Amino acid sequence: MSRALVVVTLATLFVEGLQLAVFSPWRIDGVVIMVVWLWPLAMGLAGYSALGLWSAIVAGVFFDTHAVTPFGLTAVVGMALAYGASRLGREGVGDLDSAAWWVTPVLAGVAGFVAPALYVALGAVALNFGLWRGSVLQVMVVNALAFAVVARPVTRLARAVGRWGGVRR
Amino acid sequence: MASDRTRRRAWTLGVAATIVVTILYLTVGVMSGLRSVANLVVAPFAWTIDQVARPIGHFFAGTINYSDVLAQNQKLRYELGRAQLALNERWPLYRELQQVTTQLHVPFLSTLPVVSAQVTSISPTSFSATIDISKGRDNGVLSGMPVVANGGLVGSVIATTPYGATVRLITDASSLVGVTWGNGATSFVISGRGVNNGLGASSVVLTTSLKRGTMLVTNGLSGGLFPPGIPVARVRQVALSPGATTYSLSLEPAANLTHLSYVDVVQWEPST
Repeated sequence: MSRALVVVTLATLFVEGLQLAVFSPWRIDGVVIMVVWLWPLAMGLAGYSALGLWSAIVAGVFFDTHAVTPFGLTAVVGMALAYGASRLGREGVGDLDSAAWWVTPVLAGVAGFVAPALYVALGAVALNFGLWRGSVLQVMVVNALAFAVVARPVTRLARAVGRWGGVRR
Repeated sequence: MASDRTRRRAWTLGVAATIVVTILYLTVGVMSGLRSVANLVVAPFAWTIDQVARPIGHFFAGTINYSDVLAQNQKLRYELGRAQLALNERWPLYRELQQVTTQLHVPFLSTLPVVSAQVTSISPTSFSATIDISKGRDNGVLSGMPVVANGGLVGSVIATTPYGATVRLITDASSLVGVTWGNGATSFVISGRGVNNGLGASSVVLTTSLKRGTMLVTNGLSGGLFPPGIPVARVRQVALSPGATTYSLSLEPAANLTHLSYVDVVQWEPST
């Protein structure tokens, strides 16, 4: 497990770097695609519960230190996605081998749609009511589409990273 | 059995992480230190990926946009020449204005010292509109100082380190700016509407004579956050609902906020 944690932590830091260096400056209609949410989701869909939660914490905490939004929100949303996905992943729903090819993209699309709304709702809990004033719906739609498109290769990568870390689902 | 153990472990990990995040969130004092450490950890990964991704991006962008860049360059040279000519023509008026504002002790933007800084990064998320700049406390940049560029107000400094600062853009949802226009008789507050939605104002009294294209500038009222006369936004649309007693305005920032490379931090503090 410790080897897996190291491998997943390193992979997550690369995802973090990818987010900050590529996806944050490269916006679609002004919207940032949140790879830091997609990665824990993919880990969860690959069936790695603990590793998914861990990657959500690492990705979220490091991302939040680069933004002025409430600290910890990205991590909490990532953890919710990872946990939900891991429950589905362990039941074989969204699994790349046993489920239909479209199930993983659909689940990722739903997650990408829900995640920004969850972020805004949790922001309100943290007494930050300014988050909803941006184009939340636009952010939801763009992330849903992006998550759906890249869900399968990213989940495959997550499964490879988990196996490389020596973890069996 | 193994499944139960994994589930328990996942729950424990989740609960522990939530507690840690909550504690960190509540103890705001540790944030700056944590931010610095996190930057140090992530920087090598971001740098490596940037070194690989940037040349590829530049290659494709250069191939596709080369003719556009040339045309843009010619247009910019032309506009620079016109601006230089206009400046030379107005030089006597400018000197006169400078003398009057000095005599009246009114802080006029051109008379205030500025610190030029490079934009090092933009906000990594869709939920806030901020930029990071390359000058900080060591260069005299302090929290609350206005930031201008590209012909208008860009925002204000909200956090500083010795070597850098974070600037909240006027389009950020939590940004508020007091503005006026014309002879400065009427003032109201405009607010950011998020990264993609520009600026807006509501509850503007009906007696005001605003029309599309009117330039709004900072009002510089006593206790305000900005010195007077900085261009902030142009009126894009004036909306009046039936039966309403006030206008709603849709505004376009005077400064082009999508292409910020360099900015000037005006060394003016709200309390002065």
